[in-house]
Amino acid sequence: MVQGPLNGVRILDLTHVWAGPLAVRFLADMGAEVVKIEAPYGRGPREFPAAPIGGWMGGEAGAEPWNANAIFTKLHRNRQSLCLDLKQSGGLDILLRLVAVADVIIENFSARAMPSMGLDYAALKKANSDIIYVTMPGYGSSGPYRDRVAFGPTVEPMSGLTTMLGYTPEEPRNSAMALMDPIAATHAAAAVITALRQRRSDGHGAYVELSLHEGGVTYSGPWLVETQLEQRPECLGNRHPAMAPHGIYRCAGVDEWLALSCEDDQQWHALCGLIDGLKTESDHAARANTHDEIDVCIGAWTRERSKQMAAEILQSAGISAGPVNNAPDMLADEQVQARGFFVTYEAFDIPMPGNPVHMQGLSSEQWTACPRLGADNVEVLSDWLGYDDQKVKELTSAGVITDIPPG
Amino acid sequence: MERVLEIGQVAAGYCGRMFAHAGADVVRIGGRAQPAWVSEQAMSLYLHAGKRYVETTDLGLIGDLAARADVVICEARTADELIELGFDNWCTPVKLALTPFGRTGPKRNWRATANVILAMGGYTNLMGDADRSPLSLPGHYVEFQTAAMGYAAANACRLARQSNEIDISMLETLMALSQFTTVRWHCAGELRTRHGSDFWFVVPSNLFACQDGWVYLNIVPAFWDPLTVFLNKPEMLIDERFASNDSRMTNRDALHEIAAEVLAGLGKADIESRAEACRIPLGVVQTFEDVLADKHLAERDFWEGVVLPDGSLVKSPSSPYRINGAARKTRSPQTPVSATGVW
Repeated sequence: MVQGPLNGVRILDLTHVWAGPLAVRFLADMGAEVVKIEAPYGRGPREFPAAPIGGWMGGEAGAEPWNANAIFTKLHRNRQSLCLDLKQSGGLDILLRLVAVADVIIENFSARAMPSMGLDYAALKKANSDIIYVTMPGYGSSGPYRDRVAFGPTVEPMSGLTTMLGYTPEEPRNSAMALMDPIAATHAAAAVITALRQRRSDGHGAYVELSLHEGGVTYSGPWLVETQLEQRPECLGNRHPAMAPHGIYRCAGVDEWLALSCEDDQQWHALCGLIDGLKTESDHAARANTHDEIDVCIGAWTRERSKQMAAEILQSAGISAGPVNNAPDMLADEQVQARGFFVTYEAFDIPMPGNPVHMQGLSSEQWTACPRLGADNVEVLSDWLGYDDQKVKELTSAGVITDIPPG
Repeated sequence: MERVLEIGQVAAGYCGRMFAHAGADVVRIGGRAQPAWVSEQAMSLYLHAGKRYVETTDLGLIGDLAARADVVICEARTADELIELGFDNWCTPVKLALTPFGRTGPKRNWRATANVILAMGGYTNLMGDADRSPLSLPGHYVEFQTAAMGYAAANACRLARQSNEIDISMLETLMALSQFTTVRWHCAGELRTRHGSDFWFVVPSNLFACQDGWVYLNIVPAFWDPLTVFLNKPEMLIDERFASNDSRMTNRDALHEIAAEVLAGLGKADIESRAEACRIPLGVVQTFEDVLADKHLAERDFWEGVVLPDGSLVKSPSSPYRINGAARKTRSPQTPVSATGVW
């Protein structure tokens, strides 16, 4: 059991892919007791046609490939797994019994999925009037786009962000990182805790809805307000409307880069002291107007240095700068190492991203690895519902619960 | 009503905004504006509507206000700046520190903008074209995400009736939210790199030009058959080059060419209705004017109004989550108050 401020909060996790599991990971890291309700095919089939994008834990599929997907593993620490077939009435019955003794149920299916299983809010509320139900459909459960298929990368352009991300206004780019998912994830975690606090004050459960789309539009909020004030935000490549210079500069080596931003005149003067050809007397407006020339000077300086060395020199002069890190750089960064951010609680000592929240009473030392599919079937049914061994055996024989994908 | 004192700029402002949306009484300490992506007015209307603010640099006064608050959100440029503000001496039940690198560690006093944090956090390396400079993400993702984490952590402490000091680093926030950058390196032995708008691992997943703009397709394998209907290219179903996602990756350019040719001849509205009918994952690149006029957001009553001095309303995104369908509020811009008039 992970110690934390959410101790005593019971969460049923029906999420999948990224946004939902990431939200629940945060809640679990904060001490919530989480049971992941998984479909027998929830982690894929017994045999995988190809390696998953993030690879296999330990580098090989092993005897249970469905339990070796590295991305899935990364997202599912600190929880128990109950593999339940919700297509059977017995599975649905168990889920509703679990709802009756849970605080929160969270899912990120399409808007149709829960109602089609007979698990809409009315049904959940009937099982537990105090339940907090969090639903995260791509476009929400109402409105003209309700039934659209949504993934992070297709929702991103609908937020307006794509018109700002790119090399020029004529060359827009998608982040290709499904940024809408982590935005939804952090806000879903916030929503759960807000609803729990609200329940404590008013005594009632809640229906909480969050769409990937609206999360993304919230991110674009400042630009959306600016647009109504007769300003027209436009794509600036790597430049910034209020800082100059601001950019990404090539360093020594192959595909090695440095990020640099001058926040104010003080940083600019410090930069002028390091790099030849820069005019100390320039103010922000003048720097913005001569950004191309400034970039040439900075680029000449950075190309002679490694990105780490350039960052160290600039930082020692008080200038905002840092290396453009790839995966091994991130893992080797002395700052994150000093703070113990990457944690090796999983098999094969794979370092996993930790919890960015540092506070008294939270520790990754208590973290538990991602459970195998259905690893906690018996324990959850016993602890939460008081089922005995015989009952569990019957459910297993009927295929209502399992710990292996169907053949 | 919960009392929240907000000190700082964009991250603190967004965190305070979340508290204000949850019904807290948020008082912010005005100060030097941080360079932002929009004008000071737009940023203030977005972040600070419904809050009160006190204009002061008096650390004693700030300490007094902190003593009367339930939560203090303090964003600082470095760990030492946090100490200089007096953070360690405040006796607020929940104290939240938001800094670029956290309160400890050898880089705790490094200076950073979002541009720097995105670079060090592994995001920038993945955005942009393979043969060009990486792209930094515009906007305030770093600050907003750190703020959301901080809001959740502070509320968790309040829920548990726990006094605590919370230390959140922007760099670690980004790394915690990374997609699969480090696990792919460790488990597949491969460095993730940038490929323009192409997600790369499922094909086609890319941005395509159409008659009047751009659209993004994200065809994970389950949507391959409907895509052939959408493109009106049923022959692709029996084309060996496209028989699996692996073969589509191998023949990526040929597939992109086919999709690009079809989409170039269509308008956004037509593409959207066809995508909806065929049930494929597709998004249209919307301008900010498009987003503001979007029928879906309007029908879902997504926007809240912020009143301008002339009485007109500006639309601002409300909270991205909604509890029990709570009605959206119209908010006023932040209101100046004297320190003595607070709490």
